[in-house]
Amino acid sequence: MNEKKIIELKNVAKSYDGEIILDHINLDVHEKEFMTLLGPSGCGKTTTLRIIAGFVTPDTGDVVFDGVRINDIPAYKRHVNTVFQKYALFPHLNVYENIAFALRLNKVSEEEIFERVTEMLAMVNLRGFEKRDVNLLSGGQQQRVAIARALINKPKVLLLDEPLGALDLKLRKDMQNELKNIQRKTGITFIYVTHDQEEALSMSDTVVVMADGKIQQIGTPTDIYNEPENAFVADFIGESNIIDGIMLDDYKAKFSGHEFVCLDKGFEKNERVDVVVRPEDVDVVPPEKGMLTGVVTSVTFKGVHYEIIVNINNFKWMIQSTDYVEPNQKIGIYIEPDAIHIMKRSEYSGQFGDYSSFSDELDKLSDVTEEEE
Amino acid sequence: MKKSKIFGNIYTVLAFIFLYMPIAVLVIFSFNASDSTGNITGFSLKWYGELFSDAATLNALKNTLILAILSSIIATVIGTMASYGINKMQNKHIKSATMSVTKIPMINPEIVVGISMMLLFVFVGGIVGSQSSLGFGTVLIAHITFNLPYVILSVLPKFKQMDKSLPEAAQDLGCTPLQSFFKVELPAILPGVVSGLIMAFTLSLDDFVISYFTIGSGFETLPIRIYSMTKKRVTPDMYALSTLIFVSILVLLLISNLTSDKSREKMSKKAKKITKIVVGSLFGVIAAVTIVVFIVSASTETLTLNVYNWGEYISDGGEDTLDVNQKFEEYYEDWYFKKYNKRVKVNVNYTTYASNEDLYAKIKSGAADYDIIVPSDYMVERLKSEGLLQTIDLSKIPNYENISEQFRNPYYDNGKEKYSVMYTYGIVGIVYNKDKINDDDLAKIEAGEAGWELLWDEDYKGQILQFNNARDAFGVAMYSLGIDVNNATDAEWQKAYERLKEQKPLVQSYVMDEIFNKMEGGEAALAAYYAGDCLSMIERAAEAGVNLGFYYPKTNGKYVTNIFADAMCIPKSATNVELAHAYINYMLSEEPAVANAEYLYYGSPNKLVVNNGDYIDYLGDDYGVIYQEEFESQLDYMFETYAYRSLPDEKLKLQNNLWETLKVGSDSFDSGIYVICGVIAAVLIGFGVYCYIIKRKRRRLYWNTQKEASKK
Repeated sequence: MNEKKIIELKNVAKSYDGEIILDHINLDVHEKEFMTLLGPSGCGKTTTLRIIAGFVTPDTGDVVFDGVRINDIPAYKRHVNTVFQKYALFPHLNVYENIAFALRLNKVSEEEIFERVTEMLAMVNLRGFEKRDVNLLSGGQQQRVAIARALINKPKVLLLDEPLGALDLKLRKDMQNELKNIQRKTGITFIYVTHDQEEALSMSDTVVVMADGKIQQIGTPTDIYNEPENAFVADFIGESNIIDGIMLDDYKAKFSGHEFVCLDKGFEKNERVDVVVRPEDVDVVPPEKGMLTGVVTSVTFKGVHYEIIVNINNFKWMIQSTDYVEPNQKIGIYIEPDAIHIMKRSEYSGQFGDYSSFSDELDKLSDVTEEEE
Repeated sequence: MKKSKIFGNIYTVLAFIFLYMPIAVLVIFSFNASDSTGNITGFSLKWYGELFSDAATLNALKNTLILAILSSIIATVIGTMASYGINKMQNKHIKSATMSVTKIPMINPEIVVGISMMLLFVFVGGIVGSQSSLGFGTVLIAHITFNLPYVILSVLPKFKQMDKSLPEAAQDLGCTPLQSFFKVELPAILPGVVSGLIMAFTLSLDDFVISYFTIGSGFETLPIRIYSMTKKRVTPDMYALSTLIFVSILVLLLISNLTSDKSREKMSKKAKKITKIVVGSLFGVIAAVTIVVFIVSASTETLTLNVYNWGEYISDGGEDTLDVNQKFEEYYEDWYFKKYNKRVKVNVNYTTYASNEDLYAKIKSGAADYDIIVPSDYMVERLKSEGLLQTIDLSKIPNYENISEQFRNPYYDNGKEKYSVMYTYGIVGIVYNKDKINDDDLAKIEAGEAGWELLWDEDYKGQILQFNNARDAFGVAMYSLGIDVNNATDAEWQKAYERLKEQKPLVQSYVMDEIFNKMEGGEAALAAYYAGDCLSMIERAAEAGVNLGFYYPKTNGKYVTNIFADAMCIPKSATNVELAHAYINYMLSEEPAVANAEYLYYGSPNKLVVNNGDYIDYLGDDYGVIYQEEFESQLDYMFETYAYRSLPDEKLKLQNNLWETLKVGSDSFDSGIYVICGVIAAVLIGFGVYCYIIKRKRRRLYWNTQKEASKK
């Protein structure tokens, strides 16, 4: 990865009507990086994007682009382009004219426009669509036109605001690959906003997890998944059992009434901590062999594995296992030392990681809600 | 399912009949060769031809179009900007308040808007010190004002529908905010803008009420002109004009539908192109007309004379007659050149009104600056007594000697200084259908012994027409009873009322202009009306094979009937007094006076007219009717005794009250209407309350279950 910073947000804050949207965030974006801003609705990720694009002016803090402070430069003078959530194609123009829009503004010659638009159409796999009415295209096709339109000016940074939100799952996966390819080919810095953690993990070089107007963690997808910094990140990225625990000593944690060996160190003695155990890292064993035992409360078939909810000392664990167990069966669980991840306690401790009120449907509902400004 | 389909079809058919039958009839009659509504004699484009040779109507049409084009374009520009602003408003309360304020003018009765605007213009005009504040500018402002909400309501939804990130996308790609508006937002909302423009144009085109109040002298729109024509009758060229307007509005509507989003998607590319061309050329024409009008109006400097007269009350050049106003312009331009050796352009701005009261309101409001008006006798008296007229300098009117001595000192203007010069006079008589009157009565009429009593004759039950205005109807009753129309006591008014009530069961209907169609179509036997109009009815009825006659009612061998005069006056506020005198003088010369007398069919006070051989030939037998020898000696007395004078306020009130009572009566039917309306209103209110209660119950139930659920 290139180490040159292209965009820096320094101590940027924004609030609307007394409600804090962004709480003094600092963020560096490097050249040619694919960065994803990930977080639930209302976490401030879209506002961050709009501040970079120039549609929102921050209350305090600096936005620096290529070493220059650009707070007061209007959107139309910035060298960034945006792909909008609902594409925002110009309905009165056809595909060709939509893509050529920025070039026409710059009074580029007709020949060059033709050349560059054709090139763009080829890149987004829309050859032969020049004369089509944009209102009659499918969602995926509109998306491609929007990307081509935003890239034609060869911006240094491309901002993408949940660009795949309106597509169905299959198309979404294809577009994810395509976007990644385009980014690699063009070498343009992508700043990508999404609330879909899977999308974030699979596409990005860097993931920025945001919540409540603050950046919770910045890191590579693996870092974020394996070493979440707090209960929020652990819960938001994948499934996690988050249990109150005590760090007895380096490499020694105690939770659910049992002492475990782990790989973490550097905590105070007897410090209260959050312990993360991923559901797929828990092994189901007979009760007598288990480090902990509990009663199965529900089992759901998920295709690749079963999702098992086990009540252990009144804390409901989620376990993903390929072995079937009966509900109400008493089972034991076994956890390897490297499956245990210890986090410092934070404001999010105790809010997440218990599956007692777990429901698939609720999870999905909260996913779908759109982000409001 | 089937049933509802049948009802649906019935509804559609009925809707079409009720909505489009009248228009169909209108179109058919606009092509009718005869001018009677009684019969269709063949296909003809005569009325269209006549329409296009009627300079005043064409001028009004031109004014209307200019007004509609300008006001709709300006309203569309302002309305679009306003919608843009309203759409951007952050505060929801302010936004909804703004929308409510915008909608109020649409719900407000037009008359309120019109009057308030007139008041404002006159008030502001008074502050600025301009004497005649009403004019083209004020109507334009008024039209823009009432068009605005319609434009906003048609544009704003388009802004709301528009993807909010469109302008951002445009700016993102390098548009300045202004470029973004014109390149992206405007095209996106264009269908709303176009339909707003068309709606504003249509509304402005047919507005009557608001224009009527805010229009000044010297400017007349088509609806106002048509309305003021009702003094005589609506001529078939108006059918032709209405047909043309209907067709053009239909075309506009089709265009606006074609430009709407939905149909756009369905349209083929070719159709889209055609629509684009049509809309484009329409705008081109509009722009061109506007520019030409501005250039023309800016480049000519003229002497303008504002004449305000009754509708159809001057020979106007139609059907090979003399265009008196045009002739005057030429005459004065020549005369001016001869006298001062300088060229001048004279422009007679001829506008019309429908009643003395309309005229009075206009003059009294002080908003308009007419140079010549033609009020009737009692109105001359009233205007004079209120100091709204100026004296006429007879030394500047050498042709005044053409007026017969007996018309120089009418009761309403018999002082040393003259405020009026008589234009026409007329007498009320009775027109009758010879085939519907029995022989005894016919003989009586022919012997000159018939009076008003035939209008109370049981034999003609359901065949009698009576004036549909209080003064004339009570006049008829009073003449028949021998009561003095101007000095009746309360008891005498009551008597006249009883007399009309006695007549009511015999009356087919109370009419004004409808009398032409009814008498010419042979639907009624007897009616009292103005002599000139009766004579033209007789002539036209004869063409349709209906045999009408006319007589002046006598009581005890003396004519006891209404006589009226209309006279030319110069208002105090006139701006071109010199030219006004020249106009009056010209009107008294032989050629225009004869042309007017031939056109109007009313009596002329002009000696040169009465003795003109052509005129006598032209009138034929009617000459004897209009200028009956017996009248000669009686005219003075009749004016003195039978002409209507201004009634004192209390008598006016009494008359109007009695008239209302007579018209409404106490029939069971009329009170039944109130009962029915009351019942319907009660049912509607009851239903509303019922719905409200049900809704509240459901909501409460919902809340309760919600609460219980949350408790659990």
